Amino acid sequence: MTLSPLFWTYVKVVLLVATVPAIVGFVIVLAERRIMGFMQARLGPNRVGPQGVLQGLADLVKLVTKEDITPAKAEKAVHFLAPVLAVIPALTALAVIPFGPPVRIGKNMIPLWVADINIGLLFLLAITSIGVYGIILGGWSSNNKYSLLGGLRSAAQLVSYEVPMGLALVSVLLMSRSLSLVEIVRRQEATHLWFFFPGMIAFFIYFVAGVAETNRNPFDLPEAESELVSGFNTEYSGVKFAFFFLGEYTAMIIISCVAVTVFFGGWLQPFPHVKALQFLGLVPGAVWFLLKVGGFIFAYIWFRSTFPRYRFDQLMALGWKWLIPISLANILVVAFAILLFPGRTTGLVWLSWAFSGVFVVMYLLAKLRQKLAKRDRLAAVPQTVES
Amino acid sequence: MALKKWLDKLTLLDLFDGLSVTGRHLFKKKVTIEYPEQKKLPSDRFRGMFRLDEERCIKCTLCAIECPINIIYIDWHNEKNEAGKNEKVLDRFDVDLKRCMFCQLCEEACPTVPKSIWLTTKTYEMAAYDRNESLYLDIRKLTDWREAPNVKPFTVVERG
Repeated sequence: MTLSPLFWTYVKVVLLVATVPAIVGFVIVLAERRIMGFMQARLGPNRVGPQGVLQGLADLVKLVTKEDITPAKAEKAVHFLAPVLAVIPALTALAVIPFGPPVRIGKNMIPLWVADINIGLLFLLAITSIGVYGIILGGWSSNNKYSLLGGLRSAAQLVSYEVPMGLALVSVLLMSRSLSLVEIVRRQEATHLWFFFPGMIAFFIYFVAGVAETNRNPFDLPEAESELVSGFNTEYSGVKFAFFFLGEYTAMIIISCVAVTVFFGGWLQPFPHVKALQFLGLVPGAVWFLLKVGGFIFAYIWFRSTFPRYRFDQLMALGWKWLIPISLANILVVAFAILLFPGRTTGLVWLSWAFSGVFVVMYLLAKLRQKLAKRDRLAAVPQTVES
Repeated sequence: MALKKWLDKLTLLDLFDGLSVTGRHLFKKKVTIEYPEQKKLPSDRFRGMFRLDEERCIKCTLCAIECPINIIYIDWHNEKNEAGKNEKVLDRFDVDLKRCMFCQLCEEACPTVPKSIWLTTKTYEMAAYDRNESLYLDIRKLTDWREAPNVKPFTVVERG
């Protein structure tokens, strides 16, 4: 029995919309709180259920039963609309993510993506930028000066970091010659190379900009608990607050998914063309994809528990003075490498070796300098006088 | 000099150092004591709930006099014992615990050896639902601490 592709599309949409919020609420939030707890030398929530696995349920009950407050002088309609605007674009963007290679169920070949748009990457950038409207409008409509400041910060941040993010992805487009995410993964399979290797700099810039765009530490200036009393969502409670929360975490998932698809070979196993690692192919592609995404979510959590928040001028300086020039230079280098070497892959391979060589040498030099500086510092300390 | 600074900046050395610190802590053993299941045993000098030994007490009221906020109430009267001598008998020995600041001055003032009133009972679970009933100790409550789970026997601290 063959079912129409439309039917499968409906199934996939429903699955995505149902599972992603559940994963956010039950897995990511709990993982974040427990991992952050461990990193801060404490245990984190472990009371609800064994090892705290039901914490998500408790949070859900709390958020849903809370009173839903709208401030008296708030712009009611916009105040209501803002959380929706934060969530819907994030969930929509999931449509173009390829979670795995096509799967056979009965006689049907089912691709594990809702839609393979030929401008997928552009669509993603466009749709995810809409999410910031939720934050700006939420901040403005609350009629609270801290919220407004949070919203404005978010707008400025997004404008500054959308540029390096786009430029970083441009250098990948030079390698993949396609905007379709499925095609990008296929290209990585064909070149025998994850685009992370020739695109190390691009990846770094993309991920930093991604962290900034999702308003996560160390770039969480829009909510900044200690300065703005959690900024744009000060006046939100209950389900509306939960929506903002969901939007932020779904945006995190999307940034991770795009990073995996574009730089880490999507559903491909690590080094698919090395004979010794063929046995990794036993694990289905979708599992590889989810594992990689999990790695990125872990990096997000790791960053959050490690780095202190940037000052706003530092944030702007990092974006405009460092990331944008570096990403432009990176595009130049990648373009030249592709032009100079014949064929599609030689240039990329050379680029990979050159980048990794330079980085290893630089890192070792810096490490050596650190060691020497430490030795000099210790030598400068007067020795204790023996009695 | 400037080159060295750039080298550090571009290789993100400090950021990696920070990440390695938090990464190491992820796997370290945690020292958290999970309270209702595990309990911390206080040190020997920890000042907890009062205890009174009525037989050792000589009813001198020095503890009540020494108390800075006068929350120890002692009444006594004389009675003839079998030998025909006057003996002080307690009518009342109350401590208004809800105002107590656990300064231990009453214990220091006590002239008996060992002390007849002391705070080093290693008790700290003193939360109560009503202040006036639970935190007002009469003679019965003060002497009835032997059954309490956390109470350890009194250790005499020798003072030179």
